[in-house]
Amino acid sequence: MVRDIAKKEFLSTLRDSRFIALSILVLLLLLAATLVGLYSYQKQQEEREVAQQTVNDQFANSTERHPHRMAHYGSYAFRPRSPLSFLDFGLDSYTGSSVYMEAHRQNSANFSQAQQSSSLIRFGEMTVAFVLQMLIPLLIIFLCFGAFTQEKETGTLKLLLSQGISMRKLAWAKIKGYSKIVALVVAPALILVSVILFAQGNFEVNGDILLRFFLFILTYLFYFFIFIVISVVVSALNERSSTSLVTLLGTWILCCIIIPKASANLGSNLYTTPTKAEMDAEVHQEVAKGIDGHNSKDERAETLKQELFKQYGVNSLEELPVNFDGIVMAAGEKHSSKVYEEHFDELTETFENQNRISEYAGFFNPYLAVRNLSMGISGSDFNHYIHFLKEAEEYRYNQSQKLNYIQATQLGYGDKETRLSSDTWKEFQAFSYETPPARWALQNHLVSIAALFVWLIAVIVIGNKLIDKTKVA
Amino acid sequence: MQILKNNSSQVVIEAKNLRKEYQGKLALKGLNLEIGPGEIFCLLGQNGAGKSTTINLFLGFIKPTSGAAYINGLEVASNVTRIKESLAYIPENVMLYPNLTGIENLSLFSSLAGFKYSDKELRQYLENAGLPAEAAPRRVSGYSKGMRQKVGIAIAVAKHAKVLLLDEPTSGLDPKASNEFSELLLNLSNTGTAIFMATHDIFRSKAVGTRVGIMREGELVEVLPASDLEANELEKVYLNHMHL
Repeated sequence: MVRDIAKKEFLSTLRDSRFIALSILVLLLLLAATLVGLYSYQKQQEEREVAQQTVNDQFANSTERHPHRMAHYGSYAFRPRSPLSFLDFGLDSYTGSSVYMEAHRQNSANFSQAQQSSSLIRFGEMTVAFVLQMLIPLLIIFLCFGAFTQEKETGTLKLLLSQGISMRKLAWAKIKGYSKIVALVVAPALILVSVILFAQGNFEVNGDILLRFFLFILTYLFYFFIFIVISVVVSALNERSSTSLVTLLGTWILCCIIIPKASANLGSNLYTTPTKAEMDAEVHQEVAKGIDGHNSKDERAETLKQELFKQYGVNSLEELPVNFDGIVMAAGEKHSSKVYEEHFDELTETFENQNRISEYAGFFNPYLAVRNLSMGISGSDFNHYIHFLKEAEEYRYNQSQKLNYIQATQLGYGDKETRLSSDTWKEFQAFSYETPPARWALQNHLVSIAALFVWLIAVIVIGNKLIDKTKVA
Repeated sequence: MQILKNNSSQVVIEAKNLRKEYQGKLALKGLNLEIGPGEIFCLLGQNGAGKSTTINLFLGFIKPTSGAAYINGLEVASNVTRIKESLAYIPENVMLYPNLTGIENLSLFSSLAGFKYSDKELRQYLENAGLPAEAAPRRVSGYSKGMRQKVGIAIAVAKHAKVLLLDEPTSGLDPKASNEFSELLLNLSNTGTAIFMATHDIFRSKAVGTRVGIMREGELVEVLPASDLEANELEKVYLNHMHL
């Protein structure tokens, strides 16, 4: 029974030229988004790899320099894009792609795509995720809005039910048929993505990419299923196709446009972030005057000096077996990093609180649950960005401290003339960044995963109950 | 002369004090009726008299306010899906799936009823229902109302149902098609199928009916044996009841 109805829905739709035209359009958009996404990914990735290699080489092949001069010469960390981010750009276009890493300063990431593009980027980019999140639900709505209303309007519903099929079975048969049609539209694009990922040698295939791709597909299958069930149920509850279509389009506007904007605005109003200038000023002040304002830089240096005199039993900086300049630099670096870390964590927490509004809104809106999860799986969400910044900061801190150590142990107090051999810089490990594993990504989106499952269960349970209440005559 | 019961000891279609109320307005006022195997019961009445409500109650599409409808002894309201196994229905305007062919439509509806037929058998059912052989493999979107009605008949026949519910099935059919349809009903009746037909067509009722019921404002006001009356007498009785 279910198979026969599903087959009929599938055949009927395939013979509907209007739907075929719409499907081809969506499929072409999907394929175009895949290819454009891949091109953009490859271009940026290549640029960043070349840039990273260049700055690494420049650092390693630097001329003879004083270690502290080298610490200020610094280096750059370029954020490599996660392999699946060509499917969902997420925040990648708005977050910086590189961090200048130097002594004493924790610079923010710069050179985002948005900074380098026209204002049109604010309208969003044509990515695979955009098509899957926004356009496929529209296609589903146009496909399913008349699932029951057309049967009611033409009278075929009574004829169908008189054959002995129950409303519930009929609804599930329709859902099955529509699911096949949606799969038919999406499958060619997914096959192309698979070929790009696994057969073209564009990516180093590993278990993590496989897992992420599998989760990406699974997430969207759930999402489409939720939209199909909602559309079929709304169609069953309405008497006329026009009201069913208007209801579903209203739901789409609410889910895909209004609630996401509202939750973002609510988040930023509830949890306000300081401006960059405010944060920089606070960090600078606390580094100079101490976190509590009572332990200034000079006081800290004096305390450290007295401790060293006591430790080594000497009375002057020249008598110290270590270079006080290096020691005080290391202590300063430690202090400034601590200050920065505290402010950074505070800022991150504010952003996380803002994002949490959107995550919890996923319980009211499947689009938000999927959008957050999709970005997470693709490695283009806020958490991946913060992960990169933390790795870059850790590298910067370690590099600075290593140079301070060299200064403290290999150079004498007040020595600003000695230049270390260029071979010294070759011993420094170059910055390299690896995207965290899929499991880490999922742990950051447990709320969205829960929301998606709640939606899945809710549409099945509530859908069944509502279908049973459908008026036939 | 009220003949609410059939002459047969068996009852296939039955209504016991069946009432249906819509927002405080009674659409059906305590219908009592028994129809036996092989009987053709024709229900005459104006638009809004309660004919379609009666059929919808027998089909289980709506629930009675009180009383009960029975098909083959099973109460409809509590056996909505099960009663459909032995029941076929032809609406006033058979609407099929326009993107499917006549054969595909018949195949779909038959398979829903649990019957899988070969292409040859499906063509035969359609041909027996009067559909031209060359129309069977064409999409239904190009069919006339009469052709769709014939596919509807084929769907009902292919189900081998013991109960046939018809809601003004000859409405809009040309005289030839109507006559063919009447013959088909008589053939089905001869095989023991109980037929309940709501109609406006007094002459068709007289021609095929075993009994004719007249319904007015939700009430079955008269039931007559069709064989006892001439068509013009039946018309008089009908018009009297309608106060025309």
